Amino acid sequence: MNVATETGNWRRILGSLTLAVLLEQLPWSGWALALRPDFVLVGVLFWTLHQPARISFGAAFFLGLLADFQDGAVFGQHAIAYVIGVYLVLFLRLRLLQFDPFRQAAQLFPILLTVQLVVLLVGWLAVNPPAGLAMLLPVLSSTALWYLIALFVRLWHGKGMQDRA
Amino acid sequence: MAMPGQLMFARRLGPTARLLIWLLVGVSCVVADVRYHALEGLRSGFSLLLQPARAAMRAPTDIAAELGGFFVRHRLLQKERDTLLIERAQLMVSVNAAQELARENTELRTLLQLQSRPGQQVVHAALLYQGHDWFAQRITLDQGGNAELRSGLPVVDASGLMGQVSRVYPGSSEVTLVSSPQQLTPVMVERTGQRGLAAGSGQGQMELRYMPAQTDIRAGDRLLTSGIDRVYPAGIPVARVSRVSRSQSSPYLRVESLPLAGLDRSRAVLVLIAEPQVATP
Repeated sequence: MNVATETGNWRRILGSLTLAVLLEQLPWSGWALALRPDFVLVGVLFWTLHQPARISFGAAFFLGLLADFQDGAVFGQHAIAYVIGVYLVLFLRLRLLQFDPFRQAAQLFPILLTVQLVVLLVGWLAVNPPAGLAMLLPVLSSTALWYLIALFVRLWHGKGMQDRA
Repeated sequence: MAMPGQLMFARRLGPTARLLIWLLVGVSCVVADVRYHALEGLRSGFSLLLQPARAAMRAPTDIAAELGGFFVRHRLLQKERDTLLIERAQLMVSVNAAQELARENTELRTLLQLQSRPGQQVVHAALLYQGHDWFAQRITLDQGGNAELRSGLPVVDASGLMGQVSRVYPGSSEVTLVSSPQQLTPVMVERTGQRGLAAGSGQGQMELRYMPAQTDIRAGDRLLTSGIDRVYPAGIPVARVSRVSRSQSSPYLRVESLPLAGLDRSRAVLVLIAEPQVATP
């Protein structure tokens, strides 16, 4: 791999993750907030799947701390959950890469659900019981977002991305 | 066989080992934050990092609102102006009455040789960001330590008490809303003067705790801040009682109420700065 594609990849990775963080800074409120997909989590898991040598635990942990700050939550709540999500993706990586976008999203659903349940559990243990189960809604929208991204990548690159990983 | 110096195995740790290490770091973060509040510096750092981004990302919606406002029909504006004029006339009457009362009040106070209450100083702030409200209901305002905010100050909007400043960063601050679980607000029932403690119960509701079963309270009663806590000035509307029910097992009434302030709607709020004084008898 030459230097040009390498920097290109880094640029693409950092660009997409920055975009994800910025999207979360939009003034979401009401239903849009309740249904907002976790852009950052989807971004991290996507790059963990396709570029595990570059984006994995460390980045996930840092971005998890950022997510904690955004919700005014305890530091570590999302960080722990994101790290577990990365682990699950690494564990299922070879399997996930074989699927078409729809099945891949279907396989991602339990992972995203696990991540959210870990957020719930850590918050429950560290602060107080959560207010309702509305916090599981973003799992659905994140899965849908994953499907759209996977579909886009498939259309853009053909089978791409996998051989370069 | 492997040559000397050549690696037979990957040098990196396996995923499981790395997971365990990061989990350990994560748990120590949680402990450091919950038990020792040791990570406030990191929070300030994140706020400095994200505040310009948030201000910038607010622009598209502001512009959309501006454009939407531009195309408001002339007729609608005229109607709005007429209602505002009427409202202004009514308010002028009450302002005159209030001035009269204030003058009388100061006279009486000098007569009784009491301290006069300090004037209330306010800081205007706008909603900058709202996070998920899964565990605590918080909003972020676009004013912070620069505007001499400090944690503990009450925050109000046009219709009632919003909450209390809980964290202050250089250019922004976090407000814990009154409906947030574990957030207590000392209140009194407007109709009877009965004092009580309102606690947030999440999902945009509040409950009045520890009201004995024979208390005179009914749905529709307004709850105001009682001012005995020296945090909130007395008389700010907090909530309206929505349902009162008696339970067999508990000696207390179950009083549910809805906050009056637009907790999830208000975009412009006021932070009250002056320290409320205990009313001298």
